[in-house]
Amino acid sequence: MPAKKRTVRIGNWYKSDDEKVHFVRKRKAPRPAKLRKIVPGQVLILLSGRFQGKRVVFLKQLKSGLLLVTGPFKINGVPLKRVNSAYVIPTSTKVDVTGVNANQIDDDYFKRTQAQRRKNEQGFWAKRGELTAEQQTAEKTRLDGKRNTQKSVDAALITAIKKTQLLKQYLGARFTIGKTTRPHELVF
Amino acid sequence: MKGQADQKKEATKTVKKVKTTNKSAPVRLWVKAAFTGFRRSKVQQNENQALLKIQHVEDVASSRFYWGKRVAYIYKAHTLQNNTKFRTIWGRISKSHGANGVVIARFGRNLPPRAIGSTLRVFLYPNRA
Repeated sequence: MPAKKRTVRIGNWYKSDDEKVHFVRKRKAPRPAKLRKIVPGQVLILLSGRFQGKRVVFLKQLKSGLLLVTGPFKINGVPLKRVNSAYVIPTSTKVDVTGVNANQIDDDYFKRTQAQRRKNEQGFWAKRGELTAEQQTAEKTRLDGKRNTQKSVDAALITAIKKTQLLKQYLGARFTIGKTTRPHELVF
Repeated sequence: MKGQADQKKEATKTVKKVKTTNKSAPVRLWVKAAFTGFRRSKVQQNENQALLKIQHVEDVASSRFYWGKRVAYIYKAHTLQNNTKFRTIWGRISKSHGANGVVIARFGRNLPPRAIGSTLRVFLYPNRA
């Protein structure tokens, strides 16, 4: 019996030599992260970063999967902030957030503006980093807007917090590991 | 002494404007762990796997909490790097070792042997809860 001839299929299209094709990852949209047992209004402990140990109130999960939290700012200095759920310990304490409206806040709220990026420039680009007068006023209005958003979101939250005894002090205190603390035995 | 009084007033005025710094005590969000050595037999060792004895962890069930947690070995050097003289080697706890709570950690670069006996920081993240 004659051996079967192996045929190699030659493609019909040949790329030109000078054409450079970027490697494109197929997954562009972030997968919506699963929220494991964290409920809006729950108090979380931040584990790393500038506010490590602070107890904050969870508001909602953003589209990127990050958690939107707030101190509230007046109580412990933590502003509206995005946090990765892996860098957080959820506690059993819950705050009533039915009156809190954080609907207008999404990932774009936290995007860095060009003026911000310019401000951080150093060295060769330092001259370009100085903001023009109109950029400065734009920055000022942007920051004022942020302050107002913070205040409006926190207002309802603070009235809810004041109803529970010692909750304000609890949120103002930081979590720390002492000499005899065993995190693997702690029930948060 | 009107001039002096005015100067004092100015001084107190400016002091009021200065923001008060954070005076709270530093918090510790990491657990102490002793680097007891590399995983080894009597005459041979594997430097890729570091044995860590985490404080207050005495059995395998407790050590399971620390699986996946990030560990840092922090040391000082003479020259500045990233504006600081402190340097770190990061790793993760990969598995338990034995019955008494010892864990094995793997680092980005293997730990230097002079770190044996030193305290490493086991952080509480990533939190798998």
